[in-house]
Amino acid sequence: MSLTSAPASTLAAGAVPGFTAAVRSDAAAGALAADLARTGAAAATADARAAVPPLAAEAITVRYGRRTAVDAVSLTLSEGSVYALLGRNGAGKSSLVRCLLGQQRPAAGRALLFGRDAWRHRASLMAQVGVVPEQPDAPPGATARQLARFCRPLYPHWDGGAFEGRLRRFGVPTDLAFGRLSKGQQGHVALALALAARPRLLILDDPTLGLDAVARRAFFEELIGELADRGTTVLIATHDLAAVERIADRAGILAGGHLVLDEDLEGLKQRCRRIWLADAGAAPATALDGFAPLAAQRTVTGDWGVETVVAAYDDERFRAFQDSAAGAGARVTSLTLEEIFIALTGADADQPESAGAGGPR
Amino acid sequence: MKAAFPIDPSDPRPIWRQIEENVRHLVASGALRPSTSMPSVRELARGLAVNPATVAKAYQRLTDAGVLAVRRGDGTYVASAPPALSAAQLHDRLHAEALRYASLAATLGATAQQAAAALESAWRDFAAGRGAAERPAAPPGDPV
Repeated sequence: MSLTSAPASTLAAGAVPGFTAAVRSDAAAGALAADLARTGAAAATADARAAVPPLAAEAITVRYGRRTAVDAVSLTLSEGSVYALLGRNGAGKSSLVRCLLGQQRPAAGRALLFGRDAWRHRASLMAQVGVVPEQPDAPPGATARQLARFCRPLYPHWDGGAFEGRLRRFGVPTDLAFGRLSKGQQGHVALALALAARPRLLILDDPTLGLDAVARRAFFEELIGELADRGTTVLIATHDLAAVERIADRAGILAGGHLVLDEDLEGLKQRCRRIWLADAGAAPATALDGFAPLAAQRTVTGDWGVETVVAAYDDERFRAFQDSAAGAGARVTSLTLEEIFIALTGADADQPESAGAGGPR
Repeated sequence: MKAAFPIDPSDPRPIWRQIEENVRHLVASGALRPSTSMPSVRELARGLAVNPATVAKAYQRLTDAGVLAVRRGDGTYVASAPPALSAAQLHDRLHAEALRYASLAATLGATAQQAAAALESAWRDFAAGRGAAERPAAPPGDPV
């Protein structure tokens, strides 16, 4: 089956955002051209770019029946930033991402891409947005080269050379059917397709899920190269906290549909620390009282002493605690993003947040 | 270039500061000699798996401080005469690092005299080999 001659309806049924977007925009080619002319003109001035954030969620709410999956979530990405969207399974990440991509209409609020409503202007906006979906399910019979040939006319800044170059670096054969590639190779094809369109905004939905360490590393190296070369704005929903904490400059945590955290990573790591007392004395319960001014989140007591994660650390307050009778000998250590995430999102981290909360399938 | 120093996400210092201080250390120890070419922001960011903006910030600060110099169109170099730290900066850095060492020594059960003696002995080793003691594991003939 040749992709370029495929009826739009068969492809539109697929769940690859890049493809469905492309097909829709193909169907509305006239509107696309007019839209591109407008957005192209708007993008021409650097001032306009700086003023309009590439992505903004304005009080987005998503409901499935009586259940609220996303509850009035607002967040903004500034130009050139890398935003890590974190949350346990069922926290509402996928629903929010679908709204941001204009694939789902929020029950309330709106998603703005480059200042324009993602739902209403999806077809034209998607020409500027690279998408790597959680499940890259391009038509399984199509080869990477055919996929590229299909996408090329739909994106004004398509870079075919960069596409082939990336697949070569990743070692992905361009003439093998997508369905026969490994999961890692499929992820690389999805990233290469997204980047070949030279997008101003990249939206990655758990792109490294199920990839091995080597494939993950290659994926992030390619992403880093793209950031260096083009300053692309990135939203990445991920569970790969160790990789993303080196790259993101801001993080948001979704829990139960609420954005419980939306903060610069540097500040977050400054204020969230672990404090421990090797010897809590005869009454460890009172030792904890000293932590309270530092906003203790989770306190664990054991034979070895007592430790807690605090969310409002600062040097002066900690020294005051050390100088108190209870806090003598207290030590402080910093935390990784993963440790902070666990401290802020609850104790039973191995359980999904709520069963069946992942949205419609 | 392969990254010559590690970045530790559990280090309380921001990543850009870790890069900045690592480069300062490599320059001060003589491992990075004056006028040596530095890896590009892109290369170093990929090597360390960090955001290029983070490396750029560290490079900018190092350039502002005169440790690195930019040659237009030709990349970034170690300055021909990297500046010494101010007296106040030197005192602060020494105190912070000494605190870490003192804490470790106390944990091991050493006395202040033993800790000071070990420091003096390490200083002599360092002065003799200009940092050679830091790479004792390098096999002979390993190209650096």
